[in-house]
Amino acid sequence: MKRRNLMKSSVALALAASVLGSTAWAENPVLKIGFVGVTSGPAAAWGISNQRSMEARADWINESGGYKIGDTTYDIEIVSFDDQKDPKRAIAGMEKMAQEGIHYVVGPNVDDGAAAVRPVAEAQGIMYFPYAFPKELYSAPASNAVLGMVANYQSGPAIYKYLKDEKGVNSVAFVAANESDPLSQRDGGIDAAKALGLEVVSDNVTYQVDTTDFTPVLTPVMRTQPDLLVLSGVSPANAPQLIRSARELGFQGIISTETAQDATVLREGAGDLANGFISVGGASTPEIASDDMKEFVKRYTDMFGEYNDESNTKVYALEYILATLNANPAGIEDVAVFQTTMDTFEAPNPFMKGDAKMRYVGTTSFGQKRQIAVPLVVNVYQDGAFETLFVAEVD
Amino acid sequence: MEQILANGIYLGAQYAMIALGLTLIFALMNVLNFAHGQMYVLGGFVTYTFYGQLGWPFVVALLASCITLAVLGALIERFLFAPVIRRSSREESTMLLAAGLAFFFDAVILLVFGEKQRGVPKIVDGVFNWDFRLIMPYDRILICVLAILSIVSFILFMQYSKTGRALRALAQDRTAAQLMGVNVARYSMIGFALGAMLAGLVGGLLVTITGVNLGMGGPTSIKAFMMVMIGGAGVISGAIAGGIILGFLEAIGLAVLSQYGDITYLLIFVSLMLFLAIRPQGLMGKPWG
Amino acid sequence: MIQWAGVVIFLLAVFIAIPGFIAASGRSDLYYTLTSVALLSIASAGVWLTFYIGRINIGQGAFALIGAYVSAVLVTKAGMSFWLSLPLAGLFAAAVAVVIGVPILRLRGVYFAMISLVLTQVVTLTALALPITNGAKGITSIPLPGGVSALGLTLIPDFATLENPRLAFYYAASVLMVLTFAAMYRLVNSRLGHLCRSMQQNEELASSIGVNISYIRVIVFAISSFLGGIGGAMFGSIAQSVYPSSFQVADSVNFMLNCFLGGLGYVFGPMLGTLVLYFGWDLLFELGRFQLLAYSSMLIILMLFLPNGLLSLRLPGKKEADK
Repeated sequence: MKRRNLMKSSVALALAASVLGSTAWAENPVLKIGFVGVTSGPAAAWGISNQRSMEARADWINESGGYKIGDTTYDIEIVSFDDQKDPKRAIAGMEKMAQEGIHYVVGPNVDDGAAAVRPVAEAQGIMYFPYAFPKELYSAPASNAVLGMVANYQSGPAIYKYLKDEKGVNSVAFVAANESDPLSQRDGGIDAAKALGLEVVSDNVTYQVDTTDFTPVLTPVMRTQPDLLVLSGVSPANAPQLIRSARELGFQGIISTETAQDATVLREGAGDLANGFISVGGASTPEIASDDMKEFVKRYTDMFGEYNDESNTKVYALEYILATLNANPAGIEDVAVFQTTMDTFEAPNPFMKGDAKMRYVGTTSFGQKRQIAVPLVVNVYQDGAFETLFVAEVD
Repeated sequence: MEQILANGIYLGAQYAMIALGLTLIFALMNVLNFAHGQMYVLGGFVTYTFYGQLGWPFVVALLASCITLAVLGALIERFLFAPVIRRSSREESTMLLAAGLAFFFDAVILLVFGEKQRGVPKIVDGVFNWDFRLIMPYDRILICVLAILSIVSFILFMQYSKTGRALRALAQDRTAAQLMGVNVARYSMIGFALGAMLAGLVGGLLVTITGVNLGMGGPTSIKAFMMVMIGGAGVISGAIAGGIILGFLEAIGLAVLSQYGDITYLLIFVSLMLFLAIRPQGLMGKPWG
Repeated sequence: MIQWAGVVIFLLAVFIAIPGFIAASGRSDLYYTLTSVALLSIASAGVWLTFYIGRINIGQGAFALIGAYVSAVLVTKAGMSFWLSLPLAGLFAAAVAVVIGVPILRLRGVYFAMISLVLTQVVTLTALALPITNGAKGITSIPLPGGVSALGLTLIPDFATLENPRLAFYYAASVLMVLTFAAMYRLVNSRLGHLCRSMQQNEELASSIGVNISYIRVIVFAISSFLGGIGGAMFGSIAQSVYPSSFQVADSVNFMLNCFLGGLGYVFGPMLGTLVLYFGWDLLFELGRFQLLAYSSMLIILMLFLPNGLLSLRLPGKKEADK
């Protein structure tokens, strides 16, 4: 009986939400932006932080009267599709977006999904902003994918170089989950480390994604006594456990990763042991966050109860889409125009202090501008919060 | 070597506890409970809420996990599994129900507790370090001891209490037990509640070390299935043996095969398949369980 | 007679009415959804067949992944035509099934279920470790299926030149599905099907009356895996990419659930089960974050009221006809 009531109320709630969503701001035309990613199951954290930052931003825009593109002011509606981290579902999601007349989609979150949706996106005229790193997605002849963050083969070298020069790191060990994305990122990291002249002392230890106890995994790595331990492509759920196990095994060196992490998760899972952990973040650390960013964090927190630091890197894609459309409104219906605009687009970055710019980059890595210029913010965890270690640019 | 042994015992004890609940439910009702891992996660979240969030004593939170899951288990048996078993023509049909439940719990956990990895403050600080030959944090040692104690008391309970004896009779032969005057419906419910409670207990214990997130459910179920298969389905001692064997396999495999990286688990799985092909009923199982 | 009319109506619906409806309504996303249903139901049909000899098969994802990789490797590395690689993918999966099946088919009940579940992980991990599968990076940029012509006649057009390859994939998948289920129906009503039924009831008894049960088990498992391989290969070609995670444990479980939901006693059960489960998820898309909650509740309620599958709903008198 209880379940049925819950069902009823949840259906009613969902209906109410959709009704509210469509009537409350009826005066403006609606611009739909899609999201295809994983919002349920083991990897839900990736997609949910993504979807929520889009919804929080859209809500904020709508509340302040809409987003002006050309002569029209639009309300922004986020259409989300849960692909369950299944590439076959991701294709269905992309088809759904095409059906809804959507030309701009954020996601998918993983390599296989991003590769699988490519045929649909290119056939249906959809620009999509995946959080996956394979270069062939963004290099010609691929045309419709725009990397939504800094890739590990871009951030890795910067971090290793900094640690080599500033902290005297000479040897490095890599640990990765036995899964496509982390393994690819590990291989990229190894290349980068070798190119810098670092000694790679351990590069083939992997763990199953569902590992809950990392002591046996890390024991052989610790024997090699690296100066730096890199957790390649580590998921936020595994990071605190890995850090804790490494420290408890007596590891004294530096631990780093090239993915975004969440400070609360680190504090709860590893406590003080996580101090000094280096990860890549967005723009919410107090040193660089603009007032807009602070407002965004506040709104996100109000809407969903708790902020997720991973959203720092995920706040940008939607902003880029809207700003680029604003630069040439014809892009709303025609992604070819959008692609041309990308080459010259430049606008102030609202989320960072100072005169940082939003523009498209990636010529070095992909041979064409198919990456958004997110500042490469390298953070270090200290006592429950992130501090900015250094900020770099990707070209 | 000492480290591998210690890792093996620690992993084995926690795995055995997870497998116990699953095998108990299987023995009683022939239900392969796909939702077992989700129950474990739920137990973890209950302890997280009471101990981590509300600051209650750990033992009380652990008790809350046990009670919540026991009640939940009883309700599930009564209103879902019992009617489906009664009506369905093939008993495997309960697998769809169990899978549906697993999805359902995943959805509820996501909505109620969110998508983030959660952890609680350590219950004991400090690390036992014997000259870097054997390193084991104190909280792990404590949890390991607690797990072993729980397993022992569970065995004693099954062996000597009236309920335990009735449950064992039920597991051995349902019809015979019924003829001997065991209230089958009642004890099926109790057994399911007990199995769910064990999942909740181990979830509550392990949240202090591994933390908890909604994605742990499915993989935990699969691991538990493997242990049950190694030991023999539906046999209590088999589940314990299976858990300890898998624990040692992992500890040894990761230590010995670490330089081959990616293939450690491949070898574990393949050897498991070979073992089952040679001995189809596991170590101690009834043939064709 | 009624049955033939049913078949004709079904074929008309699949090949004419549905494409017509999609063209008229503009719901072109349905092409892919229905293509998926067709392909997944082919793989599910294989699982159903192993149920038919009394084995709970949670390993079809493994064979789908094998099929997807075989086809992808043949097309990208050997430059073979996709249409030739498709049956080869199925045959390779079947060959693997024979090798693995001989030892593991001796297992029954939950033991077989578990070992087949482990099999899915073994294949995923193997794909990650092997060089020919390109490891973690997967095989990407697989070309679309090319054309086939004989005696100057174009039998299958080159998909890359088509204006709407999705419609072509839909037709290809539907043809495969129809062939699969026709073959299944034929098989179930043949001598082999009869023997399978007797094995499902009691293997010892079947063996005692002179049935070579281990031979039949392997044959059926090979057919089942052949279907899995075909389904997987088609998916790889639609996505134009294959990763170790293209088919995972969740897929294996879903294939099994499709069979349960449709009804284990009915040949067309897996088709209906796949349709309902796949579309169910899609239709609940509107519910946003309550999607999984509603979906799982639906599963539980269905199971509670129709524990023998959806097809058990039919009129009692007709029940035995298709068995």
